[in-house]
Amino acid sequence: MKKSGKLALDIKALEKTYGSGTHALRGIDLQVREGEFLGLLGPNGAGKSTLIHSIMGLVMPSGGTAKVFGHDVVADYQEARKLCGLAPQEPNLDWFLTVEETLDFHGGYYGMRKAERKTRISELLEAFSLTEKRNVNGRELSGGMKRRVVIARALMHKPKLLILDEPTAGVDVELRLELWHYMQKLNKEGTTIVLTTHYIEEAEQLCNRIALINQGQIIDDGTPIELKKRFKKKTLEDVYLTVTGREELTREAKLA
Amino acid sequence: MNWYGFFSVLRREMKRFWSIKRQTILGPLLETFLYISVFGAALGSRIDTLDGHSYINYIIPGLLLMAIAMNSYANNSASLLQQKMMHAIDDQLTSPVSNTSLLAAFTLGGFFRASIITCIAFVTASFLTDLPVVYPLLTIVSLAACGLFFASVGVLVGLLAKSFDNISFYQIFIIQPLIFLGGIFYSTSLLSGPFQTLTHINPIFYMINTVRHGMLGTSDVNPWISLPVIILAAMAVVTVNLILFKKGYRLRG
Repeated sequence: MKKSGKLALDIKALEKTYGSGTHALRGIDLQVREGEFLGLLGPNGAGKSTLIHSIMGLVMPSGGTAKVFGHDVVADYQEARKLCGLAPQEPNLDWFLTVEETLDFHGGYYGMRKAERKTRISELLEAFSLTEKRNVNGRELSGGMKRRVVIARALMHKPKLLILDEPTAGVDVELRLELWHYMQKLNKEGTTIVLTTHYIEEAEQLCNRIALINQGQIIDDGTPIELKKRFKKKTLEDVYLTVTGREELTREAKLA
Repeated sequence: MNWYGFFSVLRREMKRFWSIKRQTILGPLLETFLYISVFGAALGSRIDTLDGHSYINYIIPGLLLMAIAMNSYANNSASLLQQKMMHAIDDQLTSPVSNTSLLAAFTLGGFFRASIITCIAFVTASFLTDLPVVYPLLTIVSLAACGLFFASVGVLVGLLAKSFDNISFYQIFIIQPLIFLGGIFYSTSLLSGPFQTLTHINPIFYMINTVRHGMLGTSDVNPWISLPVIILAAMAVVTVNLILFKKGYRLRG
């Protein structure tokens, strides 16, 4: 998808300090243009999930601003959330709902009419090979199936900005590739995507820009080629290890 | 206002209790029916009258109050805690449904469940005895206000609770004793001085007697004072909940 000049996500000096005193976000500045496929790379505890949750309203920022297509996520949260879809890291399906009901209720939360929801549900069940499971309760599904439902749910209201929090963690190769193709297709169709992942090859394969996050700060961002050049490394993995302070694990260090 | 959003959250709440209706509807109904049968029909036949009413008629208003109170509370506290524990609530919290609509839907979910049980209990009771309803409007408004109060308390406890143990604690050690000691089964005129005073500081005593006044036309309180107080108490808990929802207390990090 060709990037437009419009900002899908505009984050300025975003801070989050939890009651325990943990500084999870320390002045994050990040801009994502409409149509971009941004990868957010960082180790566990770097602040990726807190950043995503701040955008989606699951965490209240302590300072700074975040805007989705110009709508502030705190002051104008209803408009901002209409434009976002979140597929969380853990499949948080409702125990009392079937696959079809999960999508139906989600559509309702976003103000979709019954007929509109029905059509969209059929499209998504088909796209994610869930048609046969439509009447199965969410808690009875396998891990991979739950993952499909969570992503389908995030897409139910056709968000302009899709946020995927480690969508391929723990899934088999087949589903991972299926999800990759689907994400690429969505991005080509115009959806802006922010993806957090631990898989470097996933970020390199899918994303046209990568932001490196560590200890609640964006360390650097750019295309994979730009980052390798800037850090003078041959692989993105080595860039990542350098940024996360584990330079001793890079290939170059091992060879030296 | 995102009405579709509001109704979807409300529909989800009703879907939850309906999908486990043996536990959420039939169980409480059986419990109420047993109280009416054992205390009212069986033991009550040995008691002549109380404040000029047959014993079964005397206790039914309190039992209806107990049905609406316990079920409103139990539904909302359990539903909210359950959703928090499985993180399913995140789907609603990240949606464009406003905080006010979320609170209204969560509150009404339990209120509707309790209203269904109370209505069926009333109809069942009216088959067992010639049940009078002297002031229908007062009966309905007082039951609704009490239901709203306990539904809101349920939401509040669901927000504060970290485990089901917390929810049971409030139910077993606070709400249930206050209901039982609020005069469901007896009139305060039968109690000695200190116990009468103690009963008068129990807020549920006023709730039971307001409903009783609506149904029987007489009670130990003036309903024109107690009813506004119940409505104000319900509004106060709703206001506290609204502030907590807007702050995202124990919902948003």
